[in-house]
Amino acid sequence: MTALRFDTYDWSGGREALLRFGPDTGPVVIAALPLFEEANRTRQFLVTVLRDLADHGIGSVLPDLPGTGESIVVTGESQVRDQRTAYTELAQQLGRNTYGISIRSGALFDTDAALAGRWQLSPQSGEDLLRELDRGRVASRSARASDTDYAGNTLSREMLANLCDATPYAGAGRLHVVRLESDPRDADVKHAAPPLWRRSEPGNDITLAQLLADDISHWIASCES
Amino acid sequence: MLVIFEGTSQVETTVRAVLADILGLSAYRVATFTANTPLFGALPELDSMAVASVLTELEDRLGILIEDDEIDGEMLETFGALVQFAASKALV
Repeated sequence: MTALRFDTYDWSGGREALLRFGPDTGPVVIAALPLFEEANRTRQFLVTVLRDLADHGIGSVLPDLPGTGESIVVTGESQVRDQRTAYTELAQQLGRNTYGISIRSGALFDTDAALAGRWQLSPQSGEDLLRELDRGRVASRSARASDTDYAGNTLSREMLANLCDATPYAGAGRLHVVRLESDPRDADVKHAAPPLWRRSEPGNDITLAQLLADDISHWIASCES
Repeated sequence: MLVIFEGTSQVETTVRAVLADILGLSAYRVATFTANTPLFGALPELDSMAVASVLTELEDRLGILIEDDEIDGEMLETFGALVQFAASKALV
């Protein structure tokens, strides 16, 4: 197992942090967390998946996209367009057979990148994400700080417009969709597990992480053969 | 007035599962919920953000759409009220 490393990457709009796991050679995975609060709820889980992938001999990177994580771009200035550009440029720089994996709205960022394949856990459209953000506002029924405040996230009008139109990849490239058994939508594989991204506190699911790491490594092997 | 739709027990099972999954409650605990078990205001885990998550998860699992103006204290007051609301949307 190759230990976690902290690193940075440059894109045309700046420099952002990223985590590296596993070997520096062979196929590499770019992992994308969902936007906003769901990232906090699923980060530890995603990192567990990436550590397990490293045990399978598969390297990965978990980048901060501009406006997320440690990025100095404030949320109110973040744009899906920029996040996609940063992702695309990072994929280009990796220079190996690159696979994108994502959780929920993380599936919105890899659409323009040249990837050998995309693996998505419960992909979510920008429109559905907006609906959930709006519902959070209705449910709290508190006096909103402003029209652009979403559960403590200030979102610009551009970001809201970006999200309205943003959908996960729908091209001809390799796509593998995984969903939970409780989700009636189509998927290549379903697993019985609760949706970590909907819990109020961050959590983990070691068993599911191992199952998904197995699934990803078998899928990559089938793509490579 | 309580209306029992055919298929309500399936909806009820789904509502129990959603509350367990979203609020992090044990299966044992949600199995003890009855029609009169109070929810919003009584369960500390069910704050307004959790309400949003519960309703969206119910939408996804039952294939229903819940309008903003349908979200009020009444449908969240008890387990029975929530089941009835979900059943009325899912089984018509």
